[in-house]
Amino acid sequence: MSGRRVRALFRRVVQEIRRDRPSLGLLFIAPILVTGLVTFILREGETPPVHAVIFNQAGPPGVVVAGALRTTLEADGGSATIVPDVDTARAAVSDGSATVAITLPAGLGGGGAVITVLTDGLDPSGEGSQVAAVGRLLAAAAASVTGISPPTIDHTTLYGTPSSDPITTFAPAIVGFFAYFFVYILTGVSFLRERTGGTLERLMATPVTRGEVVIGYILGFGLFATMQVALLMTWALASVHVPAIGPIPDFWIGLGIPIAGSAVFAFLVVVLTALGAVSLGIFLSTFARTELQIIQFIPIVLVPQFLLSGVLFPVDSLPPVVQRLAKIMPLTYTVEGLRQVFIAGADLASAALRFDLLVLAAFAVFFATIAAFTIRRDVA
Amino acid sequence: MTLATPPSTSGASRAEPAVRAVGLLKTFGPIRAVDDVTFDLLPGRIYGILGPNGSGKTTLIRLLVGLTAATAGHAEVLGVAMPSRPTLGRIGYMTQSDGIYPALTAGENARFFAAAYGVHGPQAVSDALRVVDLADRVDSIAGTLSGGQRRRLSLACALVHRPPVLFLDEPTVGVDPLLRVEFWAHFRALVDNGATIVVSSHVMDEADRCDELLFVRSGKLIARGSGTDIRREAGTDDLEQAFLRLGGDQPAIR
Repeated sequence: MSGRRVRALFRRVVQEIRRDRPSLGLLFIAPILVTGLVTFILREGETPPVHAVIFNQAGPPGVVVAGALRTTLEADGGSATIVPDVDTARAAVSDGSATVAITLPAGLGGGGAVITVLTDGLDPSGEGSQVAAVGRLLAAAAASVTGISPPTIDHTTLYGTPSSDPITTFAPAIVGFFAYFFVYILTGVSFLRERTGGTLERLMATPVTRGEVVIGYILGFGLFATMQVALLMTWALASVHVPAIGPIPDFWIGLGIPIAGSAVFAFLVVVLTALGAVSLGIFLSTFARTELQIIQFIPIVLVPQFLLSGVLFPVDSLPPVVQRLAKIMPLTYTVEGLRQVFIAGADLASAALRFDLLVLAAFAVFFATIAAFTIRRDVA
Repeated sequence: MTLATPPSTSGASRAEPAVRAVGLLKTFGPIRAVDDVTFDLLPGRIYGILGPNGSGKTTLIRLLVGLTAATAGHAEVLGVAMPSRPTLGRIGYMTQSDGIYPALTAGENARFFAAAYGVHGPQAVSDALRVVDLADRVDSIAGTLSGGQRRRLSLACALVHRPPVLFLDEPTVGVDPLLRVEFWAHFRALVDNGATIVVSSHVMDEADRCDELLFVRSGKLIARGSGTDIRREAGTDDLEQAFLRLGGDQPAIR
């Protein structure tokens, strides 16, 4: 292993990517557009009118809160009705005449009050956004009435389990997936060109080793992947308010995805994921003869990971056979690790996060090793 | 029917062979791409490997460089059995395709291959580019060069570490006649300085520029000798005719 040769390979990879403007665009702009679009759909999508039934145990303050809620909901074409007991409220949700049932607790005036919001649980993501909206209204109304810190919202469902704000669970997974996706395509195609353009043949006729080639690629693409992830993370977490200037209305830059833990660990998870994508791209380019075939690997290698890694469905809810499949997919650990950081606020003290990072690093090393072995001397 | 013509130059016959093939065999399934080829090539000479398309020239060169494993037999370069990583640093190899990075400049390409061969510093790069008359295009993106210029850059990348042994796989394909003359003049200058050059070609009019010819057909070495020797042996003035006669009654080649 020669440091100078690896450095030469690294520099060459960087020079090539730097000159390739469309690929730079794919790497840096495309993930931002896609994650922005997904977040926009999740956040700004039509929320159907909320029809609430309210069981008030809080007395007069509860009446005021319910009144404030009714005014706001009716303005959006919804409704709010006071019902005499919990069973009536549950029945209303059950027969569909109400979308949410709200229980205002007796201690609403005091600190640490818990407002129970019940939905039927049939449309987790839609209800999640409804509950999030109702929760914000309730908190605002309760705070204005009682002058105390906002109450906690406890979301329960008639069926299934409640899901939290869809952005929090979905967006980190999307960030991880697209980092993986774009880095794989770029590396796969670049390395294929190395094979088909005769440069790999030529490189193998120099003292350069296969390991040096793979490390040079990992460093070169790793640099751009790291920059991409840093940009994407900043974009996902930032929420910068730009005030209105003249005719341009005010707007926000960044997705403002709430993160419970440190962004550094989220960054670490995605960088390890992207390094794994570099090795995977080199490895799979062995089996491709044309750039089209690199694209053809997407439904075979990437789509199953998207479906099974927990981006869409929780891994635990998958059939056991498919769960075992999910366990051998790098993205499963990316999604799991990101959720640990974003939702559970995990840091390196968390065994779960340490495990995810370890598995991702192992995947990267594993694919780098088999990639080095698949660069046969028989390259023609 | 191999011409048993020993190397003719008396002075060089005492030198160690620069390149040796010993019973080289390479099969791809039922196809014998290189079929029991044995030869010694001496330093300071240009050897032409001639044969029709698909006769096994490229596979033979790849076996000699150690890029593919022989089914049987072995190859030696500068007295070392191939593949040998340190020896690769003393071999120049110009592939049939250009084998350069189109996104990089001419200078960056040459610098990269120099570093891959363990040569650093600007001198080697500028020397190699001057030799192929590309000194003024050092900052041009390789992909924007003309076909002939890319061929020259490809040659520069094979020369940049001043290797004592050069394998050139159809180096003059797509090169105009004027440039072809320059290439050959340069090859001659290199061997005059002691290098050994192995050139493959299917163009017969290049054959007379080589010191010695190796005729390959269907993976077999069917004749070896200088152009003059081969003409005399085959009883014709035309190398192409000689090639056909030595190859027996197989169908005509271009």
